[in-house]
Amino acid sequence: MASHTSKAFLSLGRLNIAGLGLNNSASRVTYAAALSTNSPKGDKGFPQRNGRGPVRKPRREPGEPRTEKMPLDQDWTAVYPAAAPFRPSSVPLPVRMGYPVKGGVPPEKKGNLELIKIPNFLHLTPAAIKKHCEALKPFCTEWPSALDSDAKCDELFPIKVESTDFVSAGQSVRNPSARIVHLKVKLSSFNLDKHAQRKMLKLVGERYNKDTDTLTIRADSCPLRQQNQDYAMYLLTVLYHESWKTEAWEDEKTVADMEEYSWEDSPSQKNMLNVLVRMKVAGEGKGEVREQLLGIKEVQEYKDSVTRLKNEGESESTMLQYKEAVKKVLDL
Amino acid sequence: MALHRLSFRLRQTVTHVRSLHTSGCGQQQEALAVESEPEPFSVFRTQENDPACQSGNQIGQYYTLPSAHIRTLFPHGLPRRYQQQVKTFNEACVMVRQPALEVIDYLKKTDISKPPVRYVFYGLKGSGKTMSLCHTVHFCYTQGWLVLHVPNAHVWVKNCKELLPSSFNSSRFDQPLQATEWLRNFRTTNEPFLSKIKTKQRYVWTKREFTEEGSLLAELVDQGISRVKSSSDVVGAVMKELRLQSGQPESDFRLAVAVDGVNALWGRSTIKKEDKSAVDPEELTLVYNLRKMMKNDWTGGAIITTLAQTGSLYTSRSEYLPQELLGETGFDNMDPFIPVSVPNYSEKEFESCYLYYMDRHWLQHPQSHTEEGKKEIIFLSNRNPSMMDRVCASL
Repeated sequence: MASHTSKAFLSLGRLNIAGLGLNNSASRVTYAAALSTNSPKGDKGFPQRNGRGPVRKPRREPGEPRTEKMPLDQDWTAVYPAAAPFRPSSVPLPVRMGYPVKGGVPPEKKGNLELIKIPNFLHLTPAAIKKHCEALKPFCTEWPSALDSDAKCDELFPIKVESTDFVSAGQSVRNPSARIVHLKVKLSSFNLDKHAQRKMLKLVGERYNKDTDTLTIRADSCPLRQQNQDYAMYLLTVLYHESWKTEAWEDEKTVADMEEYSWEDSPSQKNMLNVLVRMKVAGEGKGEVREQLLGIKEVQEYKDSVTRLKNEGESESTMLQYKEAVKKVLDL
Repeated sequence: MALHRLSFRLRQTVTHVRSLHTSGCGQQQEALAVESEPEPFSVFRTQENDPACQSGNQIGQYYTLPSAHIRTLFPHGLPRRYQQQVKTFNEACVMVRQPALEVIDYLKKTDISKPPVRYVFYGLKGSGKTMSLCHTVHFCYTQGWLVLHVPNAHVWVKNCKELLPSSFNSSRFDQPLQATEWLRNFRTTNEPFLSKIKTKQRYVWTKREFTEEGSLLAELVDQGISRVKSSSDVVGAVMKELRLQSGQPESDFRLAVAVDGVNALWGRSTIKKEDKSAVDPEELTLVYNLRKMMKNDWTGGAIITTLAQTGSLYTSRSEYLPQELLGETGFDNMDPFIPVSVPNYSEKEFESCYLYYMDRHWLQHPQSHTEEGKKEIIFLSNRNPSMMDRVCASL
């Protein structure tokens, strides 16, 4: 039996202990090192012998938890090399989780289902990340030396795509807000003529920021981020091409649609001409040619002040400028 | 503080001062029985009661409007609170301020052969635009101009009790009550002119009533006042006649058109037609005719206006700049005009107003006589004339 046991020990270390009834007595003897050498528990006795109850796997006493054997400078990546559920016997931290019993403390980690349920990042310690990076380095190339300033990056890569990743403690790592994609681009990097620029601004509306000259397209209608990215790029392409086209109905653009005020053919110009004509008629008695009237310096100043007033909005300074210009024209 | 003592001494002499008011040019000494030293004038008053002779030296000082002038010139023109003040103080004192002086200056230089220049007083609420207009109108009156004063154009676009379809043009609406009231006031102001100007056209009112060519303007106005139904058309006719005739070589009068609240002409109205749709101001005869007056296609006068947010409809309280209140159409119609800004009181003007109230015993609260009290008043009113008036009213 003794020689048997030694061989059995070696083989048993490898064997699945699903083997029923095989060398039971031998297994019991070999694993008895940490166990008390009490008589084996009666209920786990040889089923065949007692003849009662279904065949059960003989219970093996659990061994010493790994935490006891961990040196301080161990390689943690070996303990948790990949994402794995929480193993209380592998994590040497005295973590407690759960609602405390009245007058008590949260339950300990041993056998704690709450700790197992939640996602853990024990496989992503800084050491693990470093190892990943080191492993990836042979596959990486250097940052191009020509792109050493932000300005150059903006010039060569004007389109910037932003998206957000979310990390939260919960039952699932997925977050629907992670599908949102913002596409930012400066309109000055596009080749647009005057008509195209105006049309683009009208098409785009609020998405354009005048102060920073950035167009921001937010895509969130598709469920996946990749889909949203593709959609945003498609939108940009379509906008560019559409703004270059001129449709037939664009001829019907009225004064109210104009983005900025132009003095030519405006009521202000007509009024001014009327006034000037009548003043000249009263003064000298001969009619002046329209172009000559328009070319007078005072009239140009008046034109500037009115355009400024209408485009920039009103303020004390614009009003004063207008007043001075009108005074000069009317010879006051 | 010396100023303060000055006004104390002058309190006894105030009653004498009023009886000696003259409206001639040149400054006159007060030859009265003054107790101790000969005090020439109170710092806040000036003897220049003729706007034509006032100059930059008198900025901040009060001049008195003769009561006879008030009765004829301003039957309806002065702001309500000011009218109450006139009644309380028994005298009408107007402060001489920079914006009014500027416009009076331009008016003195106007060339009657040229189209009229439009002046627009604009400023924060309660900063004195209507008073500046009244000051300018007083100047025109003393110079012998014919004054066409519309005290509040907002009145014509809201709260209309009677709205009749116009007899002249069926798409327009008449407002007989307001028209008759205006004609009455117009007659009071311009009595001497009405008997001199003759109409150039024949006007037919109904099948039996008509006004012949060459009849006096006074008859036309009387016709309008007595026949209430056609009064709005009479207003239109009067304006047309004046427009045609002013500036002509044979007429010897100049026309001053003064409108307060000119932004009402191009704003919205709250008057509703029978089918509850809003009336466009253009469809009102009075407004339509007044708009024609505002155009500078006539000669021989000037157009002085103010913008008013106070009675205006559908505008927010903080708006005061011309383009905001006039709107696009209003601006295009009034363009080119000279905008004149009416600011809040300056330091000197505020001092003057304060001394005036002290002089009139208006500030009864003991603390209002102290420096601290004055600083409080400045803080509460921000030197805004109407706010100051309201704050001091409760002191």
